[in-house]
Amino acid sequence: MAKLIMFHGRECPHCRAMMPLVDQLEKETGIVFEKHEVWHDEKNADLMRSYRPILTPQCGGQLRVPTFLNTETNAAVCGEIPYEKLKEWAIK
Amino acid sequence: MKKTFWRCFVCNDIHYGIKPPEICPTCKVKNAYVEISASEAKTITDAAAEGAHTKEDFLRAIEKLAEGQEFMINPDRTRLETLFEGIFNNERNHGLKYCPCRLICKEFEEDLKLVCPCNFLVHETYKGLDKGECWCGMFIKR
Repeated sequence: MAKLIMFHGRECPHCRAMMPLVDQLEKETGIVFEKHEVWHDEKNADLMRSYRPILTPQCGGQLRVPTFLNTETNAAVCGEIPYEKLKEWAIK
Repeated sequence: MKKTFWRCFVCNDIHYGIKPPEICPTCKVKNAYVEISASEAKTITDAAAEGAHTKEDFLRAIEKLAEGQEFMINPDRTRLETLFEGIFNNERNHGLKYCPCRLICKEFEEDLKLVCPCNFLVHETYKGLDKGECWCGMFIKR
């Protein structure tokens, strides 16, 4: 089963804006995101860095937060995106 | 070409780059820079440092940077406070004022691209857009 990960930063405004949308999506669809804060948890940061070859080509050449990753398909979306776009990506 | 350190032998300005400025920006003397070691540069800059760079200092510095430019500081103070919190936490925990909306990859040259203010003029969120902004939204187009 596909695992959906959200990499986020505690003081990242885009991440803060996306968090309620993620909560809403989880409630609406039953999908669960694994959420990893990357600036205050080195293990989470290392986990995100381990996906660097997959993430950077899809996210402007850098590791950016928020990043949403499907570990089965390796499809990723980054930044502040509309709810419908997030949902479309998540249920694909 | 690797960047290295240079010192003006007249006024002791320090420069980090592939080559030194032809004219020293401080004393205006021509061809005054000599290549020095990283440890010498560090000793001079450490000794010259006066206290910590506060959030107020940083705000003043980026406001000065934005003067007369096509970009400005985001007037959303709540957003700015959040970003400053992250930037200063990152400096304390990770060594430099890294962007809170990205992550360092632990490669020196790459990670320098994340130090705020970064070269956001090339970001796809800024370049060529009417309402462009840097990735974190600290700088926006006027």
